Amino acid sequence: MMHPFTIPFVVGFTMMFIVLIIRYSNWFRGFSIENRKRIANHMFSRKTIQALNEIFKESLLHLKIYKTNPILGYMHMSFAFGWFLLIVGGKLETWYYTGNFVNPPQYAIFFRFFHPVTEATTIHRIFDFYMEFSLLIVLSGLAIAMVKRIRKRVTGIKNTTHHTRANRFALTVLWFIFPLRLLAESATTSIHGGGSYLTKITSTLPFHTTVELPLWWAYSISLGMFFLCLPFSRYLHIPTEMITILLKKWGVKPELKLTTNKGLQAFEIHSCSGCGICLDACPAIGVGNNKFQSVYFINEMRNGKDHYKTTGLCLSCGSCQQSCPVGIKLEPLRIAARENLNSTMQFIHTYLPSKMILWPETTNVILYTGCMGRMNPRTTKSIKKLLAEANIEYIHVDEDENICCGRPMALAGAKEQAEIMISRNRDIIHSYNGKVLVTTCPICFKQFKNSYNLNLPVMHHSMYINQLMEKGKLKRHQSELNFSYHDPCELGRAFNCYDAPREVLKHAGNVIQLSMEKEKSLCCGNNMGTILLKREDRQQITDKTLTVLSKNNPDYIVTSCPVCKNTLSQQSSIPVKDIAEVLTELPGIKQKKEPSASPLPQGKAD
Amino acid sequence: MCPLNFGYSVSEVKVIDLNQEKPVWLKKIFKLEPSLYRCISCGNCAAICTAGHFTEMKFYRLCLNAFRGQTSELKNNAKACILCGKCQFACPRGVNIRHAIMLITQIQQP
Repeated sequence: MMHPFTIPFVVGFTMMFIVLIIRYSNWFRGFSIENRKRIANHMFSRKTIQALNEIFKESLLHLKIYKTNPILGYMHMSFAFGWFLLIVGGKLETWYYTGNFVNPPQYAIFFRFFHPVTEATTIHRIFDFYMEFSLLIVLSGLAIAMVKRIRKRVTGIKNTTHHTRANRFALTVLWFIFPLRLLAESATTSIHGGGSYLTKITSTLPFHTTVELPLWWAYSISLGMFFLCLPFSRYLHIPTEMITILLKKWGVKPELKLTTNKGLQAFEIHSCSGCGICLDACPAIGVGNNKFQSVYFINEMRNGKDHYKTTGLCLSCGSCQQSCPVGIKLEPLRIAARENLNSTMQFIHTYLPSKMILWPETTNVILYTGCMGRMNPRTTKSIKKLLAEANIEYIHVDEDENICCGRPMALAGAKEQAEIMISRNRDIIHSYNGKVLVTTCPICFKQFKNSYNLNLPVMHHSMYINQLMEKGKLKRHQSELNFSYHDPCELGRAFNCYDAPREVLKHAGNVIQLSMEKEKSLCCGNNMGTILLKREDRQQITDKTLTVLSKNNPDYIVTSCPVCKNTLSQQSSIPVKDIAEVLTELPGIKQKKEPSASPLPQGKAD
Repeated sequence: MCPLNFGYSVSEVKVIDLNQEKPVWLKKIFKLEPSLYRCISCGNCAAICTAGHFTEMKFYRLCLNAFRGQTSELKNNAKACILCGKCQFACPRGVNIRHAIMLITQIQQP
């Protein structure tokens, strides 16, 4: 059962376990008391079973990757699931052969060396077949992985991750493992006989008796090397990803301050597999010389390198987070990293006006147009027109001067300063007795929804207009105009609000289908998320987005975000309109008047 | 030997000293955000600024003063910014104003 050639494997495997236990216990020590309680409460509950289900689906079968790219999905699946099949098969085989359940792992891994020819029972033949079939699955995945490195476009991707030296070394070692296993088993088969269909073919190669043992040595060394590299390379994601899934299911929350070796964030950062799916998802890929995509950002964080640029350049569109097959919360991680980097920023906002009202005014809609609304008075005018047309009472809270919602501040990493703005704005909004807060800016909308704890529902104006149209308070004649709709990141990806604005547009004209829309929609290029990105690079992103939007010659490009509107209109030859403007300003679109509609005086509550 | 007497003298305050070196921290800001060199002090940023509505903060002035070496009020004025980013839309020269402000508020000014 023991042979000197198994020593490299045993050493590597044991070392990996020791390093993993040390690292994990360090990260576990960083959990706050609340998180520890959460773990203790949920450990023996249904959540664990749900997590195991997810681990099977995502860590072994990689269903999420399969959905985005079947070839890549198969590649990841064949490695993970194929290897899993080998491990399970090896265990069962040794159990069946010896009658003992507990056997050392090297016995199962090098089983063919110890017992080249098993008894000619059906079960042994089935085991032989199964093991070689699993090996074939892994080898097919390996073939795809090799093709992917040489010709990435064959596998349907445009960009692959540029790995660090340590990762490339680990990758090479991994690639050697399975072909060496096949060779070693084939050599044994050719000398001693036995084997199933795969080694029966490969054993016809002229193997000399002297190469058998060196091949097993090579196999053992490559395995040992891989396990030794695992805790220090991206392959740490294999065990870490499973623990992260468990922790998330148990309801563990990120620690307040981001540190790369503490709490949930440590597990999240280290469960990045570096697969590079976020590269193709990033709207800013290939723009300038910027390599700030999430995979590089995470890698820099992991290795403790300077990550000022990778954090600051990102536009925070959320595309990578949406596409991440591991489900890492990349946006909060980036913002937390910015908080750490910009912790010395100082602001004084005592000048901001606060509001004291003794008798709150009652109204239907509180309208908040935000900073960007100031730059788009036409949108503000249009939404007011629409509200008046539907006979809805409203108060425009930031008509004269506004306080920023605080999201740009939070995105820049000044959480506490953002809190000041949030509380001032909350006071202003709460000083009215409104039924709903309508905002024309998706950035404000996201901030209101996520950080404000308001006592009234918040709606983006596209949602509100859609609601009014469904109720029949706003009616438009269908026109022949063609619109292409640009999904703002903060509305679409953040809140899955894809249909409401399209429904509104369908009342007024035709919505053109685009090649990149909804979940796949591109960034306009001027999100408040970026801090460092140069104007030239931003303009390139806008250009890319506009090529997608201007296909099929739409009459108007429509969006529902003032930032997107301003940015796109600066470079577009096709006029760019806000969704509210479409209904009020376009000459082709006419109000549908029905004789039965009762003439209510304007400005009164319905 | 006494210097020649031209009958008049140059006032100290009217001398423009082109050899004057920028302080190290200021050089660092310009290095980290080189788009600051593009500023032409047109004033668009100040016209749209919320902080400028309530305080003395005017970004183009900060920029101009930084170029001229008048840096005493730089940090204090910049602290009023709310980073809303309207100025960056208004700026015709593509200055990365938000980053510049973030840098200015972080400097250790002597």
